[in-house]
Formats: sequence, structure tokens, C-alpha cells
Amino acid sequence: METSFISSCLDCKLLPQNSAPFTKNLGLLLSLIFLSDPWDPELMSQDLLFRGRVKQPARAKATIDVIEQLNHFLWDHGDIAFGPLGMLLQENFNLGEKKKSRKNKMVMNTEWLLRDLNGYQPKGCPWAHLSTRQRRFSLLGGTVLGEEVENLLGGLLHEELETRWKRLLLDEASTGGALGWVPGAKPHHGQLVYPTGRAHDQLNFQKVKLSPTNEPQALGDPSHILLRGPVRQVVTRTIQGEALVAVRSDHHCALWKLEHRGPPEPLQVLEMEKEATGISLSPHLPGELAVCTRSGAVCLWSPQHGLQQIHKDPETFVFKDPSSWRWADFTAHPRVLTVADRTGLRFADARAPSDCGELLFRVGAEASCQRGERVLLAQYLGTPDPLPLSPTLHLVCTQFSLYLLDERLPLVPLLKWNHGLLSPPLLAQLLPPPYPEAPLPLLLGGLGGHLRMLHLSGSGRTPQLAAPPQSLPSLIDSLPGFPVLEPHGQQLLQERLRAPLTGLAAVVPPGCPSPTMLLFQLSAAGDVFYQRLWLQPDTSSESAVSEPSAVSWKPRAVACCRRWLKTLLQVPPTLPSWTPPTFSQHHLRWLKEENKGKVQEGLRAAMAEGRLLLQGDLAPLPPSDPPPAHEPFGTEDKLSERLEASWERKGAIWWDGQRDGSRLPRKRQSREKRRTQLSSSFSSVRSTSDFSDVNSPLPHPPKTPSPLHRMSETSQSLELSQELWVKNIPRERRQTLRDYLAVLPSPDSGNCSIPQFQNPSSQSLSTSEPGKCSVPCSQNPRTQTLFSPLPESYSAFYSQNPNSQSLYSQNPNSQSLYSPEPAFNSVFHSQNSSIQKLPSRHTPSLAGSQPLRKKPRMGF
Amino acid sequence: MDAFSEELMGFVQKDNQVEASKDPVPEIHLPWLSQHIQSTGSHGQKGTNFAQTTSICLNFIQEALLKHQWQRASEFLQCYLQTLEDINSQKRQMAPEIIWKLGSTILYNHPKSNVETFSAFADRMKNIGVQNYLKISLQHALYLLHNGMVEDAYRNLNQAESWRYGEMSASQEKLIKLIQAYRGLLDYYTWSKKRTEVSSFDMDGFATNAATQDMHSYFRQASVNLHEIIKIPGVWDTFVKSYVEMLEFYGDQDGARQVLTDYAYDNNFPSNPNAHIYLYKFLKKEKAPEDKLISVLKILHQIVPSHKIMLEFHMLLKKSNKEEHHKLGLEVLLAILDFSGCTENITAWSYLAKYLKQIIKGKHREWVQEGWSSRKDWWPTFHFSYYLAKKNWKENRILALKKAFTSGILLGKVKHQKIILSSGVGRPMFESSFCLLLAE
Repeated sequence: METSFISSCLDCKLLPQNSAPFTKNLGLLLSLIFLSDPWDPELMSQDLLFRGRVKQPARAKATIDVIEQLNHFLWDHGDIAFGPLGMLLQENFNLGEKKKSRKNKMVMNTEWLLRDLNGYQPKGCPWAHLSTRQRRFSLLGGTVLGEEVENLLGGLLHEELETRWKRLLLDEASTGGALGWVPGAKPHHGQLVYPTGRAHDQLNFQKVKLSPTNEPQALGDPSHILLRGPVRQVVTRTIQGEALVAVRSDHHCALWKLEHRGPPEPLQVLEMEKEATGISLSPHLPGELAVCTRSGAVCLWSPQHGLQQIHKDPETFVFKDPSSWRWADFTAHPRVLTVADRTGLRFADARAPSDCGELLFRVGAEASCQRGERVLLAQYLGTPDPLPLSPTLHLVCTQFSLYLLDERLPLVPLLKWNHGLLSPPLLAQLLPPPYPEAPLPLLLGGLGGHLRMLHLSGSGRTPQLAAPPQSLPSLIDSLPGFPVLEPHGQQLLQERLRAPLTGLAAVVPPGCPSPTMLLFQLSAAGDVFYQRLWLQPDTSSESAVSEPSAVSWKPRAVACCRRWLKTLLQVPPTLPSWTPPTFSQHHLRWLKEENKGKVQEGLRAAMAEGRLLLQGDLAPLPPSDPPPAHEPFGTEDKLSERLEASWERKGAIWWDGQRDGSRLPRKRQSREKRRTQLSSSFSSVRSTSDFSDVNSPLPHPPKTPSPLHRMSETSQSLELSQELWVKNIPRERRQTLRDYLAVLPSPDSGNCSIPQFQNPSSQSLSTSEPGKCSVPCSQNPRTQTLFSPLPESYSAFYSQNPNSQSLYSQNPNSQSLYSPEPAFNSVFHSQNSSIQKLPSRHTPSLAGSQPLRKKPRMGF
Repeated sequence: MDAFSEELMGFVQKDNQVEASKDPVPEIHLPWLSQHIQSTGSHGQKGTNFAQTTSICLNFIQEALLKHQWQRASEFLQCYLQTLEDINSQKRQMAPEIIWKLGSTILYNHPKSNVETFSAFADRMKNIGVQNYLKISLQHALYLLHNGMVEDAYRNLNQAESWRYGEMSASQEKLIKLIQAYRGLLDYYTWSKKRTEVSSFDMDGFATNAATQDMHSYFRQASVNLHEIIKIPGVWDTFVKSYVEMLEFYGDQDGARQVLTDYAYDNNFPSNPNAHIYLYKFLKKEKAPEDKLISVLKILHQIVPSHKIMLEFHMLLKKSNKEEHHKLGLEVLLAILDFSGCTENITAWSYLAKYLKQIIKGKHREWVQEGWSSRKDWWPTFHFSYYLAKKNWKENRILALKKAFTSGILLGKVKHQKIILSSGVGRPMFESSFCLLLAE
């Protein structure tokens, strides 16, 4: 684990105050970076959407490109798509054995059919030549072979793409943010709590020392806890001197107590059947939480009193909305909660649970909402500390606007402001005033990294905007401050800085001579950035004239930044997690006997050693052209040569030499041409070896398995599966099958052989301390146990080890944990992995050797 | 392609209609969807150059506004005016409103702007397109009011009120009502100024008479408009207050009471605690019977149990003869202390301490138990924790003592009402939670 700092100076202006003027000041950017895992920006809209011509330009539309995806799927995972059918039809096809099955009329010889295909595919070309045999076969078999795949897999794929597209548009899982700040015992100390890791499953506690003037310092390495699920939300709160951290994962919620010394003490873990969508810590009573799930249930939870369901309604409040997102927070009364869904916000009383509390906010005419407007975030703005604002305020954010509501005056918002964010505003925080009588900064963060700051003044107890809202510099704004990099590095840096903002925590350090605010931001890549904002006196006349927005760097900041960049650039580039086999099997099949033997030997040798298949294993490398030498003044040189020769009276000899020379290269060229034709069929093999070249000079072998490892692993499993298969196959076909298998690089991965390396949606959560809080509670959120030492369940839960490459294929015990039906399990995982990995096709790994694919081939 | 994308992606340009709920299941509208599509649709039409430049310009303006670069924003706005001639009719119609919003924000904040510039801009914008006339007039008037130019504002509102264009639509009607209401408010303002003038006059018959006449005419103008707006469901606190004040002045107590009662109890109106407070204050001034006052406050107690007027309510209930009122009196106090904003309200704590003593003397221990039963699982941590005891003792000893006494009764640790501080000075001894050590 590596920690480094980065600091940059950003020009920014902040904390305006009504009367006081401002001056320009500097902020610092710091990052505590944990580069153990490479991060790759996941899906983009380009990966999902149809890129063709839009028919109605006036109305922009998004169409999910299912056909393209299905096409890719059929190509890349033909074994999954057609494998089962192939097994069924196996009896009736002869793949090229000699004569043995000729007698049986039910067996069709596909030898000629395969030969007709001849290694290349027409791929939708209307002028492609189709033999009668091919035509007949596709007419007869096409419907059967096509429909099955289309119906079964197409449906699933479509569903999956839809969910992914929806998540891309609005990723509600990270609502609330996963970065928390816990103030420490001393005024300038505290801890940051945030997840890192590829699956966001490592919860870090980083001690930080703030300074009134300098940048904050991370004290030592963070302590961390490995969880069994992605951390979606982190909530921190200090009530009555007790610092608590609550964490929401998909199906678990957990609570820790932070001591000033020693590791965090786990208090309790809650398991839910349905996905949890929100968690909040009570600002009134220590250790009390509100938890809500997709089932529509909202529970009050405390380690002492257990769970109490106070609301359950699968329907939305105001009108029907398909979203099952729910959110719960507290109010000024410790026993009354607010429950939010996409259509509104309503009270739920814990003393008299009912499903029809009073509405606090609804998407409708009272708030003059727009059409299609929905609640994205709701937050209670009261805190135990007496603030200049009334403790009855609530914040509601929609995709267009921000509303402030007073719970005593429901339905009619006190304030509405159009925030204009071009990403869902899922993070918000109200801060204490930087100095007494100052307006309170209210921060709003969009998932895209945009930040807005409002200044609420509570004079007369009704909140008012003390100054026009302003935007704060986002992470990507610091890009010009970095040194110019090579294009690859530049892109890496840009991607890293553009990573979605998944956490926001602001601190107003007490007792600073000049009021300042610290802003910590967590990006989805696992970086924590820091920005310092200073209150400045208003120079309204000047600020209107010019506003220098260039980024300036202190020398120290530059040094820090370089260190960070260096580590960033050292991260091995993310490789496509699965690369489709592009062996031209056909070619290998119809090779001449002597070559065949060689190829098979090579394959077998590679498999036996469990190493990568190299070009040299299959056939001698075709002599490659040396790169054309740079000849700066070709003609001039020739001329000077000739002149020289003529000076020496050897002009005629030179001329002859020239003529011979020009003849010679031509011959060589034609030979070359023949060779390349021959070797083009090895394209894929060559590309794999290219790959190894790309990979080998990496300084550190990546922890996460690369396709290369997988390749060898699949080869192993291939051997195994061969042995098994032989038993069930008629003797006369074994040889064919062996031949066939021998040249197949990919196993029939319909079974468990595709290793599932990382399961970001893994479903359980436990701390790394055995027996302390890993509590596998059964199904219902009502039940939970405290401190029940269950060693066996612990060991099962703890089985996620980033180094164990294939959890499912290697460890049969852990497999049974997930699903009692291994068959279903394997199908699910292999499908899942293939669908997940589809979008990464644009990675350039094999692009050179792959033909463009437009339509799925028919039949075989 | 499919129903999903058809519905989800139906990207309506800008639909400012207020909650048109014609669809049975309206889909969420995501403003960032177009970005995604643009980044994908490499072959898709990008729109005309004109549309591109205007949208870029709009982005620049918004960015400058959010960075408080008013000058820069105003320069860009000059270029943005070209949208008024957009070929897309929908955009053309939207343009004046957008320009007005941006322009007025800039002029409101720009250090070099003044009232004249703002007025000139507003007058120009009013007459571009017809739809925004009323809205801009109202905002213009509010701006003038903000700058203390009451007369100009009044003139402006008057002008706007008489403005007509075609058939009056529902939204126009609402705006007109609002404009009239604000005019009424300004009439009320003049009226109250005249009132102070009249009261300062010596009893000179003619002059007083004329002034009174004048004042009365303002009253009539104001009352018509104010009466109108109050009928529409909404939160009209200022309007109601001024209307009631005028009615009271002219001795129309019944009218005033009616207005306040309607405002408080009409179910079409959103729940508004202020309405009940106005009614209560009015009735109290009127010296209405206590039962009446109690019934008003009872409703307020249900809506906002934490209101500071609830302490007054408690006193009323305490004074009442009915036993149920006495019981409610305890509940009122406990309910106040339920709220996080009132935990350190020393009056409430001392009332509670006193009242608990009284109740126990009156042999109504079961009331205490009843009130306590729903709170016993959280009040100890909420009010009587060790942490809070220490904190209160450090910050406010009287509060700490009151709380200690109450906790003694509620937690059942007290046998008699005599508090003895065990150590006498400094820090008291704490037992389990907050409770001071109590002895007989």
C-alpha cells in the first residue's frame, strides 16, 4: 500500500458573505492514493448505445444496441451460445472421420460444409458466395439454432443491458457518498473513512492531522478492514462523545465504534434479503440508525434495542413510479423519521408505525416541479449542535432543483434553486459556520464531480441565500496544473481525475485565524483528494472585472504531484479481462498431416507446462520484414554514388549493379507475399504472442489475474475435461474429438472453467476479525445476532482472497455457499462474466487481427 | 426499438409545465441524457452551427454566473441574444425567459449595475414575446421594492395589472392575482403610514377628516385585493396579517376572526402553524374564553409540539379546572422536550420539574407513568446520559439540577422531594445516568 500526497493550488473563491467582501485565495489539493489496484473506468454510453444514424434528429434518442452486443456475444462465446445445441446434435454430425459412420443415414457429414466455409465468413456481405450446401443447411438449421439462442440469451442480455444503461444514467447505489470524516479527540485531528479496492470492499481508516495554514497530513498508513461486499455508503457521526461509523453494502449494513486509540470496534452487522438503499445515523441518540431496503421497509436499528420496522410499503407515495429506491433520515424528533422515495418524502413515526404518515414533500404543483422530476436525495439538515438555522430543515434534491423544507410547514418548500448540475446530485453536506454569525455553507456534489456551494443564513430563523450560489473547482479542473505527459499518461490522468465522485466530506477546522474550509473528495478510482478553501473578503468591484482561473502550483505541491503521477503511471494498464479466441480452427483442421503433428505437439507442450502458447510452438516464425530504414536523401544519395562511380570511371559497373539490385528485391517481395498469405491464418496466434510482449516488461506482475494467466489455466482445464469427456463418447468419434480439441484454444466453458475472478456484487460482508461481528443473519432484517462466534460461517465468508484466482472452480466448498445448484451456478457465472466483459471489447489488444464483425454467422 | 428506450429516452427539450400528470406512469427525465447521446452518436446529427454556438454560449454564461464573474457573463449574454432569432420555434419561445433570468441575475449582482439599467433591461424584456410580461413586471417591482422605490414599484404593478393579452390563461390569472395582492400590500403600507400620520395630528377637524378619507380609500383598495388572494390556497402570512390589522382598525372583529379562522382551518390550505398562532394571538387580544384558546392551541400542539408558545399552552392548561387539561399539560411539556432543538430549554425543564412535583402531590402518578412509558426507552440516553450530565453541569448548573430532579422522578429514584447534593461543591455524584444522588 502506497501513500503519497499531491498538492496543487487551485484558484477559488468561496464562502461569500453578504456584507463582507472577498479576496481571491488558494486551495490545496491533496490526495491519499492507494494504487494497489488498477482502476478502469467502467461502462460508457458508447459501449451500450446504438451508434447508427439517428432518424429523428430533433428528438435525440438513445437506443440500446442489443443486436451488436448479441453479435459480439455469439462470436466471443460461441461455446456458450451453441455448445448445448451442439451436444444435442452431436450424434447426427460427422466432423470428418473416415468412413466409419457412413452407414448410418441419420449422420450427416459436415466435412464439405466446413470446407465450403473455408475459413472466412461472408458476414452479411450480400455478394458473398453461398454454396447450395450452406444455403440448405442454414435454411434448415438456422431457425432452430438461431431462435434458441435469441430467445434465451437475447432476453437475458437485453435485460442486463437495460439495467446497465439505467445504472449508467443514474447510479443510485452511491447515494449519500462513501467518505466520512470523524473528528478526533484533539481539535485538529480526525479520521477519514472510505472504501478502496477494485470492488470497493476495503474499508480504510486514515488518521489525518489538520493544520490551520498548511495542508493536512496523513498520519501513517490507514488501518483497513476487508469486507465481503462493496461499500456503497459511509455515514459518520459523533454524538455524546461517541464516534460511530455506519456502512452500507448491498445486502449488509454494519456499525463500528471508533476509539481514539486502537482499532475500530465492530458493534453489529445486519443482513438483508433485499438490497439496502440507504442508511443514516441518528443525530440524537448514539448508535441508532435508520435503514431502508428495496422491499420498501424502513427500520429503526440500534445495537441495544434491535430492529424495529416502522414503515413498509412497496408502493410509492404520491404516484406510481417503478423505482424501488427508498431513503430514510431523521427529523428534529428522535422518534420520527422521514422516508423518501422517488415521488416524495413522508414522515414515519416510530411510536405508532403506520404506512400513511403525513407528506413532507411531494413531486407536484406545491413545489412547482417539472415533468419527469424525481427525488434523488433527501437529507435532514439538523444537528445536535445549536445552529443559527432552525433544527427542522430538510434538503431535497431532484435532477433539476434543490429544495429546502421545514418539517413544521410541510409540502411548501421554503427555498427552491435550480442547481443546473449535469450529473445526479447524490451528495450533500451542511457545514457549521466558519466563524460565528457567518452563513452556513451547504455543499452539493454531483456524481460527475461538479460541486455547488450555497450559503444559508438563518437570520430570523428562516433560511435565506446569503449570496449567489457558486460552483467549486472539480477535480478535472486541476488538470492544467499537472505537467504535460505523453498521450497515454495524459489520458490515464484525465480518466483518473474524471472518475465519478463517490464521496464528499468537508471540515471547518476549529480555531483557525482565518476562516477556512477543507474539502475531501473520494473518487470511484479510490483516490481521496483534498481542497482547501479560504474565506475571502469581498472585493466585488474587482471580482467582476477579472477572475484569474489558472491553476498555480507551489514548488512543494509540484514535487508531491510528481510523486503521485509517478505511482499512477506505474500502475499496469488494465487489460481486457477476457479476450475471445480467434484461432482459425478451420485452418488448423485442414492442415497437412506433417504440420498437424507439429502444431499438436506444440499445443500439448504448452498445455503441459501451463505456459502461454507462443508462435514458435506452432510453426516457425515467418521471416518478418525489417523495418524500412530511414533514407533521408534517397535519390540524392544514389546520384552522388553514381557521380562518385563515374568520377572513378566505374559508371557502367555501377549501372549494372543497380539493375541487378532492382531485380533482386522484386523476387524477394513475391516470396514475402506468399509467406504472409500462408501465415495470415496464424494471425491470432501471433497476436497472443504480441500480447505477451506487451505484458512481460511490466515492473510488477498485476495482482489481478490477466488474461494470460487465464489462458494457461483454461488450457489445463482443457486437458482435464478431455479425459472426462472421453468416457462418454463413442469410440469411433474420440479421435475426431481429440483432434478437434487439440486445436481449440478455448475449452467448452459452459461448465465451471471460466474462472470468476472478482465478483463485485458478492453478497456478504464481514470484518477481518473472526468471530467478532461476522454475523450471518437469516434472511429477514428483523433478526440479528451480536458477537456470535461462528467459526465455520466465518471461514466461509472470509474466502474472498484477491489472490485466489478462481474461487469457483478451485474451491468447491465456497461454491456451494453461493448456490445449492452447481449447474445453475456455473451457467450464471459464465454468463455473467461474459456479459460483464463485453464492453471492454474496444481495448486494442487483438484489434489488429480481428476482422470487423457485423452480423452473427448463421448456424455453424 | 423497444418500449423501454422509447419511453425513457423521450427527450423533451424543455418542458416547464407544472406537473402535467397525464401519463399513468411518467418516466424520470434526466437532463444529462442528452450528453450521453451526444458522446455516443458520432453519426448522429449534431444540430446546426447556430444551435451549437448558442448552447455553448449558454454554458459559458452559466459557468461565469456560478463563478461570480458578472462582467464575463454579461459579455457572453450580449452574444446570446441571438437565440431570439432561433429557427426552432420552441427554442425561440423559451429564449426571452432564459435571457431575462440570466440578465436579471447578472444585473442584480453586477457591481456597476444600477436601478436605471435594470429597469431599462426589464422594460425591454417585457415586450419581447408576450408570455413573460406579467412575470417580469412582478419581478421588476420586487427589485424596485428591494431598492426602496415604493412608488415606482406601485406604478409598475398598476401598469401590469391593466395589461391584457388575448384570453386570460390560468397561469396569467394566477399572476394577475399575485400582482394585485402585492399592490394591495403596498396600499396597506401607505395606509399604515397615513394612520401614524393621522394619529399624530392634533384634533383638527377638517385636516383629520380629509386624511381619514384618504386613508379609508387606501383601505378599500387594499382590502379588495388582499381578500382575493387569501381565497386561493397557499401560504399568505404577510397578506393575512396586514388585512387583519386593517380590519381590526376599523372594528370589524368578526371579519378579522373569520379571515383568520378560514386561514387556519381550511383544509385546502397547506398546513401552516403560523395561521394557528395568528388566530391564537388574535383571540388572546380579544380576551376570548380560555377554552377557546385551549382548543386553538390544541391543534397547534398536534402540528408543532415544539413551538415555544406551547409553554404558554401549558400554563393555560395548568390553570384550567378540568382534570383532562391537567393531564394534557404534562404531555405538552414532555412533547416539547422530545425535540432536539428544545433539550436545553431551561423554562421547560423547570416547568416540568415543578409540574411533576405537583402531579405526584395530587396523586396522579399514573399520568407520569403513561407519559413516561413511550419515552422510557430513549429519554435516558437522549436527556440523562452521563455525557450530557457532565456537559450540563459544566455549562449550566441550574439546568443540570432541574434535569437531575426530573430524572429522579421519572427514573423512579426519588422518594421525597428533597435534593441533597452529596458532595456539596463542584461536581455532583452521578448515579447510573444523569440522576444526582438523591436522599431522603
